[in-house]
Amino acid sequence: MSTTIPIPATPTFAPKARRMTLKRRRQFAGVVFALPAIALVVCFIGVPIGQAVYYSFTQWNGLTSTWIGPSTWTQAFHNTNLWTALRNNGLLLLSVPFALAIPLGIAVLLHQRVAGWRVFRSIYFLPTAISWVVLGLVAERFFAYQGTLNSIIHALGFSHISTNMLGYQSEALIALGITFVFTMIGTNTMLFLTGLATLDPSLEEAARIDGAGRWRIFRSITLPHLSRFIQLAFVMTVIALFSALFSLIFVMTGGGPGYATTTMEFLIYETGFNQGDFGTAALYGLILFVITGIVGVVQLRLIGSNE
Amino acid sequence: MAEITFDGVTKIFGDDIRAVDDLSLHVADGEFMVLVGPSGCGKTTALRMLAGLEDITSGTLSIGGSVVNNVLPKDRDVAMVFQNYALYPHMTVAQNMGFALKVRGLSKAEVAKKVGEAAAILRLTDYLDRRPKALSGGQRQRVAMGRAIVRSPQAFLMDEPLSNLDAQLRVEMRLEIARIQRLLGVATVYVTHDQIEAMTMGDRVAVMRGGKLQQCDTPQDLYDHPRNEFVAGFMGSPPMNLLRGSLESNDSGLALVLGSQRLAVPSNYATSHQLPKVDGPGVVFGVRPEDIEVLEHSGSDSLSTKVERREALGAEILVHLALVDAVGNDAFVVNDSGAVVSRPTTLVAKMGPRSGVSVGDQLQVRLNPDHFHFFDTDSGLSLRRSS
Repeated sequence: MSTTIPIPATPTFAPKARRMTLKRRRQFAGVVFALPAIALVVCFIGVPIGQAVYYSFTQWNGLTSTWIGPSTWTQAFHNTNLWTALRNNGLLLLSVPFALAIPLGIAVLLHQRVAGWRVFRSIYFLPTAISWVVLGLVAERFFAYQGTLNSIIHALGFSHISTNMLGYQSEALIALGITFVFTMIGTNTMLFLTGLATLDPSLEEAARIDGAGRWRIFRSITLPHLSRFIQLAFVMTVIALFSALFSLIFVMTGGGPGYATTTMEFLIYETGFNQGDFGTAALYGLILFVITGIVGVVQLRLIGSNE
Repeated sequence: MAEITFDGVTKIFGDDIRAVDDLSLHVADGEFMVLVGPSGCGKTTALRMLAGLEDITSGTLSIGGSVVNNVLPKDRDVAMVFQNYALYPHMTVAQNMGFALKVRGLSKAEVAKKVGEAAAILRLTDYLDRRPKALSGGQRQRVAMGRAIVRSPQAFLMDEPLSNLDAQLRVEMRLEIARIQRLLGVATVYVTHDQIEAMTMGDRVAVMRGGKLQQCDTPQDLYDHPRNEFVAGFMGSPPMNLLRGSLESNDSGLALVLGSQRLAVPSNYATSHQLPKVDGPGVVFGVRPEDIEVLEHSGSDSLSTKVERREALGAEILVHLALVDAVGNDAFVVNDSGAVVSRPTTLVAKMGPRSGVSVGDQLQVRLNPDHFHFFDTDSGLSLRRSS
């Protein structure tokens, strides 16, 4: 009598029909991981931009808004204060080269390990650690008619000369620009020092042996090496100029005399909170956003960076 | 082209770190001088002083007969190849090679001509428009060489230029550098910690240790007649076997006592060497791995050993041999810690690839009596009388 032993069915490991390929799984994981960041960007950048666009077509007092169509836009562009603020922003851009060149010079000197470089490094970095409100107050006292600047001038024997830079429309913007440069020195100096620390010292030594002097080494070796750091400092400085001057202006001049130191950023505050016209303020915010975006893209294109 | 002279050159960092100590060395015009030694021996500092990148604490340094102690690097007319090549990353190969010429005010046409010539010698013509990051290690090394030779300097200074290359490329570039140096006939000071590079490339080799020059000689003389224990242990791969023993005199002549074993020492060593007195303080005995051969039978010129380790290198086998006494136990050989160099209790022998030795084998080995070395136990100096 023979018995038949049943043979178990061979298990099959064929992939399930709906199983994703490794590539698709990776893509899916990428999307999943990006989702929180996308949600944050949409919530805190996308939605406010959309709201700003909406409110720019309304008359909004902060509580209730009434749709008025594009009249805000046509009126805004006939407002001379807008053009004054834009001009002031444009003129303040002239301070950017100083906000880069002075820290660059300081960083190069500190990098040479001149006597007392550690103390100087702390001194130059100090403004970065101090609130811009405090810096604005100090600057206001410095440029005031009975301030430090005039005391220095008088102490140097020029008692017949007195300045009042914050009191004159023609000079207040210059004082603001000088203060802005001062506030940026610490950050940019540290940035350039970081860049210099990454410079391979053997490159400089090779250039010395190749016959290059100090200036030639700076021009041909150091500066090209620092180009990425200069790009970054440039972008950061311009962005600060457009979007971080409010506290300085508020403390030093209140936007005056007249509108002499009112920038777009300050005009938005002025229009929204002093005049209660949040619809127009939203429009100014959009204009500033577009200008900052254009400046950012142009400067990145000019310096040939895709990072 | 010029000769180079270090005359009592000393470099002290800080208050008391003596990186180079009273270095006196002459490099003839067109000579390839290799400075070799372990890390921290002062070889790179010596080179950097020659380049003008480090100040000289005391002594005199001359290039072409002119004292250059206070001459800036750019005015010394020397070219240097750095360990990491130090290529300017934002410049192309052509710009890197032509930078020194441009700085010196040569016209664009002259720069292009000289760069082209150097590129042809170094087989870099096809890469002139590339940036360093787009080159392989070997190509970068050649660009660094090109940057040096394009200037036709008085001397080439090279600071471990092959240390970043893989083994095969290093061998190729070793030949390449030697070829170019011979072609140009420029005095060259080459720093390395690799004694094979030193032996194969240098017309003469200066061995340094602790800032001091130990010996400067032709590679073969260094190998055959090391002036001290350090040089003996540093030059050669594997290095010379160094064992501490003592001398005794018996009926058949002079013998070296190593643990419980005795090795006959040919009588000519008594005249060619200033050997210590019999039963005196002892001696450090040296023999090269290739001077050890396996015997069928024991004899007065042989030692009983046991194979402890076997390293097959393909073309040869390195066999680590422990000395054993008559009954096969490991013999006691003095191994004084804190000595100038380590004095192991084993011998390393080079044997043919077909040698059928295995770990644990008892071997009777003969040490070539024509190539014995003796060193003073305290000073480590060779006891060989100068001829």
